[in-house]
Amino acid sequence: MPHIPDDPNELTRRELIRLLGASAGLLCLSPLAGCGNLWERQPVIPVDSWHKGVCRFCGTGCGVMIGLKGNKIADVKGDDEAHNRGRLCVKGLATRDILYSEGRALYPMIRKNGELQRASWDEALTLVAQRFQEAIEAHGPDSVAYYGSGQLYTQESYTANKLFKAGIGTNNVDGNPRLCMASAASGYVTTFGKDEPPGCYEDMDHAECFFITGSNTLECHPILWERVRDRKRSRPATKIILVDPRKTFTVRHADLHLPILPGTDVSLYNAMIHVFLEQNFIDRDMVEHYLSFQDGERTRTFDEFKGHIAKYTPEAAARTCGITPRDIREAAFLFASSNATMSLWTMGLNQQVEGTASNRLVSAMHLLTGQFGRPGATPFSLTGQPNACGGVRDTGSLAHALPNGRLVANPKHRKEMEDLWKVPGGRISPKPGYHTVALFDAMNRGAVKCCLVMCTNPGQTLPNVTAYRQGMEKTFLVVADAFYPTETTKFADVVLPAALWVEKEGVTGNAERRYHLYPKLVDPPGEAKSDLDILVELADRLGHGNLISARTPKDVWDEWRKISAHSKYNFEGITYERLQKERGLLWPCPTETHPGTKRRYVPGQDPMATGVGRFDFYGKPDGRATVWLDHQEEPLDPYTAEFPLIFNTGRILEHWHTMTITGPAPTLRTIHPDYLEIHPYDARQLKIEDGDPVIVKSRRGEVELRARLTDIVRPGMVFATMHSARHLVNQATHDAHDPFSKQPAFKRCAVAVRRKTA
Amino acid sequence: MMYPHRRLLPRLLAIAAPVGLPHATAWAAGVHDAVSSVDVFRSIGIVAAAAGILLLVLVQYVFRKRLVHGVYHRLLLVGVFLLPLAATWSTTTTVMEGTKSVQACMSCHVMHPFVIDMTNASSPTLAARHYRNNWIAKDQCYACHVTYGVTGTMAGKRDGFRHWLHYVTNTYPDPIQYVGSYANSNCLSCHQGTGKWERVKSHQALVGELSTDRIACISCHGPPHPLPKERTMAASK
Repeated sequence: MPHIPDDPNELTRRELIRLLGASAGLLCLSPLAGCGNLWERQPVIPVDSWHKGVCRFCGTGCGVMIGLKGNKIADVKGDDEAHNRGRLCVKGLATRDILYSEGRALYPMIRKNGELQRASWDEALTLVAQRFQEAIEAHGPDSVAYYGSGQLYTQESYTANKLFKAGIGTNNVDGNPRLCMASAASGYVTTFGKDEPPGCYEDMDHAECFFITGSNTLECHPILWERVRDRKRSRPATKIILVDPRKTFTVRHADLHLPILPGTDVSLYNAMIHVFLEQNFIDRDMVEHYLSFQDGERTRTFDEFKGHIAKYTPEAAARTCGITPRDIREAAFLFASSNATMSLWTMGLNQQVEGTASNRLVSAMHLLTGQFGRPGATPFSLTGQPNACGGVRDTGSLAHALPNGRLVANPKHRKEMEDLWKVPGGRISPKPGYHTVALFDAMNRGAVKCCLVMCTNPGQTLPNVTAYRQGMEKTFLVVADAFYPTETTKFADVVLPAALWVEKEGVTGNAERRYHLYPKLVDPPGEAKSDLDILVELADRLGHGNLISARTPKDVWDEWRKISAHSKYNFEGITYERLQKERGLLWPCPTETHPGTKRRYVPGQDPMATGVGRFDFYGKPDGRATVWLDHQEEPLDPYTAEFPLIFNTGRILEHWHTMTITGPAPTLRTIHPDYLEIHPYDARQLKIEDGDPVIVKSRRGEVELRARLTDIVRPGMVFATMHSARHLVNQATHDAHDPFSKQPAFKRCAVAVRRKTA
Repeated sequence: MMYPHRRLLPRLLAIAAPVGLPHATAWAAGVHDAVSSVDVFRSIGIVAAAAGILLLVLVQYVFRKRLVHGVYHRLLLVGVFLLPLAATWSTTTTVMEGTKSVQACMSCHVMHPFVIDMTNASSPTLAARHYRNNWIAKDQCYACHVTYGVTGTMAGKRDGFRHWLHYVTNTYPDPIQYVGSYANSNCLSCHQGTGKWERVKSHQALVGELSTDRIACISCHGPPHPLPKERTMAASK
């Protein structure tokens, strides 16, 4: 007999059991009801959806997963499926916040009475078109110029290049890659006949010796450095040789460190080749079948090459480089005797007067010893910007170049491009345009009246910058950037607000010839527009709307990949659909079923290599790669009693370029790069203490920094970063540049340092 | 009220037991390298179970007539309730402590690729490097996944239960994926404050983000284990 409660509010046992059962059932369903945290761990940052993309910063091009919450980016993490295996560096992680930083450019501005004032897009673009048109009519097409960036998407650089070269009819198209990778490009072109590295990142998993020269990989390409370290962790016998004037964080992990004086690379590499010859490390098959030798315009024989190398003994080179002959011999031995040697380099090699020579000598070391074209055996340049390779070098958006390795100076190349772009013969000017330093010099002289600057900050990054600021002041300067103000907008007559990163869609090509896609995920702030939209609207107003017929990122990409099919850079098979699906593809990739190419010039792997031997250097008419006879030159800015120290510039892990993006990022803004590294030995002589304000004075200008006493630098050398706008190191640097690549020598000039007296 | 302490002692014990047992457990869990915590708990369990049976037999069949009513009841309470409770507690703890061992993880085939990688002398993963360099002397899985031990969190128990449910019902994704945010405290408890850690400026800048798990240590220093794709590839070889 069940107990019947007197009070109707009292539960019976049966009711109680039912209630408990129902509660348990609800608990089980709780994950469906949005109470997932009761059932499973939840991320600290809630996200609605994840989208694949690529990091905004360096040329490594790490895959990222971007988490959206509502219409904002909430979180960014590394993409497990991409080459970076889920890793991101501190800058990559900061992409979570970069779109929402203070200092975004929100609306167009026009300078009126010396002040930049808000304007409408129509007003701004009409003014730009009118001023460009006036200059072209009065002074010819070469009185206008475009200065672009290795950070614009490929579609944007391609469109700008086409508009200026095939529309306006001037080759005054250059950009910041000239300051960054020009020597790497000219090194590859002179050696292999084609630009871009022969190897890929995967080679790092197979190399048994890393020859890292002129690269602080740990700080500047941290995710690639982790891959190098992984190789060493898996195979501890792997050797790491570091050539760097400074004892950087990277050097701490090296087996052998060669702290050469800046600008003495040519001596070092020639001396290493000397050891290869002496110790019989030369691959005779390579020399006989795959290499040619050249000295300037003249072809040389292998014996003549040996004669040239004879004077670069390790002993002589050691004196020039400021190291020991034994270290040179050991480095050469490790390089040549390993089963697979991979060289990595970047700005240290490129930003010097002998940048091209240094680049092609590193490639020569690989070719002469046969350390080439096998897994782990390759020369490989690291890149500073996400799209210097794909966007600027491959599209030929440089003053001397045309798309896919063609040259302005070559009539056949001009004709090919005129046909492909469907413009009348003769439209492309036969006169190469101004390279970067010459361009800003032309502004100084008044030869260039109008210049469109996109996505870069030459007001800070040019060498000997003070000398070129007056030219920027004089010129009608149009600056399109995602940030305002910058050092360049100070001189702008019109500022155009640009979309940043995933506020626009586009394709970039990273350091390993990998094209990958950035999706558009959020809207740009204020009235900002994508650089492609800006270029298209400008083209319309300049009367070249018919030429710029592809107006969306997809249409421009399709036009461009089809044009690439008429060259050895063929990536016609990299369709938009594949880019959307895959984590990028390595060109050459001629068909939609081609998996991409890891190692170039190797028949069977590279679809462009049609030969049957070990290699087919199809970029050269004779199918042979060129080894150059390069000489060590005397330094251009000599150190004297008045300027006794060598000034070197570089980067740190936490900031990128001129800090317009990383400077305001909440996770990075507490890290200040405004210091001068000076050895305690020099500091003692100059009566400088740690933290003292110091003046660095060169023959061109002065910069004030705080002294940081450290043995990272060697005595006789000081170092500062190029990041900060508060202290422009480029007021001191030298605008001398490589004769072939025209890349300036940021890595070496003579200075005096003194304590700042109050 | 001739012997007030006779009443006080059981009460004190009753209060101390729920507080004391977990503490004793926590202490025993890290007591000594030579004697594993599993052994300690197993012994306690066996002793408690044996003592309970012995007590009941003695009370019921040997001493029953000689015991006053109240004492008989209390001893029964000890034999029927308290000692079995201790035995249950110990066995549960034994299981939980036992699962801290790498062998225990290895007993589930889902974990095979993880343990195989960790013990692979040439693997570059974080787990493998911690293992082969002896940075963690024992219970290497548990050292970085501290939620599931007897002193771990409720969330850890919930996860364990969920994993078990998915496992027995065969409803887990293969390869498995980590869900949610990993607690950086597992890394920071050893690394934060070391000279090597402090030297890196990024660490200083990210202290807030790291302590709230908004940025994972393994974002830069990972991957801790083979990635899902790599595990599938290893399994198919």
